[in-house]
Amino acid sequence: MKGVLNDIKEWFLETAKVFRREFGMVFRDAGVMLFFFALPLAYPIVYAAIYNPEVTREMPVAVVDNSRTAESREFVRHADATQAIKICGYASDLAQARRWWEEKKCFAVIEIPKDFSQKIGRGEQGVVQFYSDVSLLLRYRTFLESITELQMATDTQLRERALNTLGVAQAGEGSGIQTEAYFLGDPQQGFASFILPGIVVLILQQSLILGVTMLGGTSNDRRRRNGGTDPLAITASPSATIIGKTLCYVTLYLPLTIYILHYIPLIFAFPHIGEIQDYFLFMLPMLISSALLGLTLQFMVSERESAFIVVVFTSVAFLFLSGLTWPRYAMQPLWKMLGDIIPATWGIEGFIRINNNGAPLALESTPYRWLWWLSAAYFITAYLVTRYKTRHG
Amino acid sequence: MRISQGLWNVIKREVRLLTSRPIYLVGMTLVPLLMAVFFVSLLGEGLPKKVPAALVDLDHSQMSRQLTRSLDAMELINITQRENSYNEAIAAVQRGEVFGFFVIPEDFEREAVAGRAPTLTFYSNLTFYVPGTLVFKGFKTMAVTTSGRLVQTDLVAKGAPSQIAETILQPMTVQNHPLNNPWLNYSYYLSTSFLPGLLELMIFLMTVYAVAHELKTGKSAEWLRTANGDIWTAIIGKLAPQTLIFTVIGFGMNALMFGWLHFPMNGSMADLLLGMFLFVIACQSFAVFVCSVLPNLRLALSICSLTGILAFSIAAFSFPEQAMYGGIAIFSYILPVRWYFLIYIDQALNGIPLYFSRLYYVALLVFPILAALAAPLLRRAVRKPVYVP
Repeated sequence: MKGVLNDIKEWFLETAKVFRREFGMVFRDAGVMLFFFALPLAYPIVYAAIYNPEVTREMPVAVVDNSRTAESREFVRHADATQAIKICGYASDLAQARRWWEEKKCFAVIEIPKDFSQKIGRGEQGVVQFYSDVSLLLRYRTFLESITELQMATDTQLRERALNTLGVAQAGEGSGIQTEAYFLGDPQQGFASFILPGIVVLILQQSLILGVTMLGGTSNDRRRRNGGTDPLAITASPSATIIGKTLCYVTLYLPLTIYILHYIPLIFAFPHIGEIQDYFLFMLPMLISSALLGLTLQFMVSERESAFIVVVFTSVAFLFLSGLTWPRYAMQPLWKMLGDIIPATWGIEGFIRINNNGAPLALESTPYRWLWWLSAAYFITAYLVTRYKTRHG
Repeated sequence: MRISQGLWNVIKREVRLLTSRPIYLVGMTLVPLLMAVFFVSLLGEGLPKKVPAALVDLDHSQMSRQLTRSLDAMELINITQRENSYNEAIAAVQRGEVFGFFVIPEDFEREAVAGRAPTLTFYSNLTFYVPGTLVFKGFKTMAVTTSGRLVQTDLVAKGAPSQIAETILQPMTVQNHPLNNPWLNYSYYLSTSFLPGLLELMIFLMTVYAVAHELKTGKSAEWLRTANGDIWTAIIGKLAPQTLIFTVIGFGMNALMFGWLHFPMNGSMADLLLGMFLFVIACQSFAVFVCSVLPNLRLALSICSLTGILAFSIAAFSFPEQAMYGGIAIFSYILPVRWYFLIYIDQALNGIPLYFSRLYYVALLVFPILAALAAPLLRRAVRKPVYVP
């Protein structure tokens, strides 16, 4: 009995020693500090600065007006007034407009046919062509929105005139039913407001994994220089090592988490309607599982700088697997399963809904449970990796 | 000749180094190939159809049921659940079960038929951009067509001749022509930008690793000696095997996308491949330049990782650089992948004459010139390697 109690006391002491030593290791390593602190502090600001304009407006559009009537000019004026379109000039024909497009002077062309006015006057349908460059889908989407609104507004106006001529009383306000659209989560349809809340969570995971694997690689370097053992490592059981280190990393990340999840959305006016206790509690298992994943990946990083090569490209892969840019329900089972085992996937799913949609933690039970299960799973893998390393040097 | 013998010796030495550790081959071949397969497979469908959506029907009339059936029949929307109230629907959105919902208010049919224009509301969760906008598009189309049908019925009832009534609904229409990607296939625009971006990232990292690792191990002086003391021979010899491998990988990516998967290739494949080759050289030059200015393995890797990852955003694949702040948009021009992307848009997607892309090809040639100018700095560091962890 006494032996068991003694062992337990030893274990706690080992964990405490590892915990303390790990702080020292982090704060004496400029490279790791860059990852743990500079990256989460600076990256959100850099990204937000890139996407802060959020929307694209006033894109140059050329007009080929073969009709040259009052109606066509009015249409072009209204088009110019829309958010997306800025008429950059009248081209004499489609070939010249095409030339302008090739020279990047315009991104779309409005072509009004010769019989536009006549058709409308006769009660037939007037058709306008809109050729849009689709190299960037955001441009096309913005154009589409403006063009659709323009079309509906023009239709309403022309309909009023036609019905007045016919002497038919209008039905309501020109349409049988009203429709209203509300955008949840990102009401301004801004690009940054959509992507940054997800990217900041990914930044937390990736910087943590980078720092942890770099520490592991540095330890390997020291081991090679010292003939098999790392002079700065504390002899401790694998579980004590892992728990001590994880506690250290998670503690370091707590203030960073508050900065990234609370202050960054405030500074850049992203949607931020979640309760702090909800997303903070939610983030805890994500940090733990990310740290443990980092400790597991240490076996792939044989030297200090290999961390870059092994981990950096995964940021791109994890961004897509998280379902932020491509929804998870539309993924094949293989990629969906791969996404399931990555903490950031669930972190992003849950955080975005808490932050943008105001969901309480209770409604995010699926991601939350997954994060705790992943923590348990990665604890086991980290244990196996650490045990192998201490046994085989 | 001394130089060509030195070049050949450096190449042989490099091949030996590249095959001595798995990290080189993994980073140069496995990672880009796996990511290529990953991207094209993930985005294979082109457009994620059948967005899960909910419906809140407070009217329970024939018209509302008809609306529901029409909605569900749309390609873009999949009505997965019916909720009883707005609050329950919001909870479903927050749980992540649906990406949007439609609310049909009480007395909808009665108001519509009486001409009192009831309001149909739809809520789309733009937290997830792609499904959110698709749900919105589906809802809007449905709302417009329903509205149109009601107006037509109403007008005919009020005495308008039925054939005129049809054109009165939509006196004019705008026909949209998305040039060269009429299917609005997301893969054509995401794969073709992210794969070169990823290739750029890996080229940056592997080049820096190959060059600066010599500084770490202290073998850089021996490397220079193998090249008979000429730094340019040393660099070209060291990077030649990598150039070959990366060019083959790049060509393979293009073959996968434009050959196997029939991505839009409206220009000449040869022009794009030339662009790819120049792109590989430009990326390597950028990395060598960083190594010359910062002859430290960790710092050079940090700078290149930073640039490589930021490239995905700054190179304006998604967010147009015209909309960015000027000071930031300028940085997009120091990235090789931006020039390659512009070449891709012009030559492959739009198929316009090569003349319009001439500046982009020239821009890719600027990078090797910069690296050459910085070569003396590298020479100094290589002669006296210092490793700072």
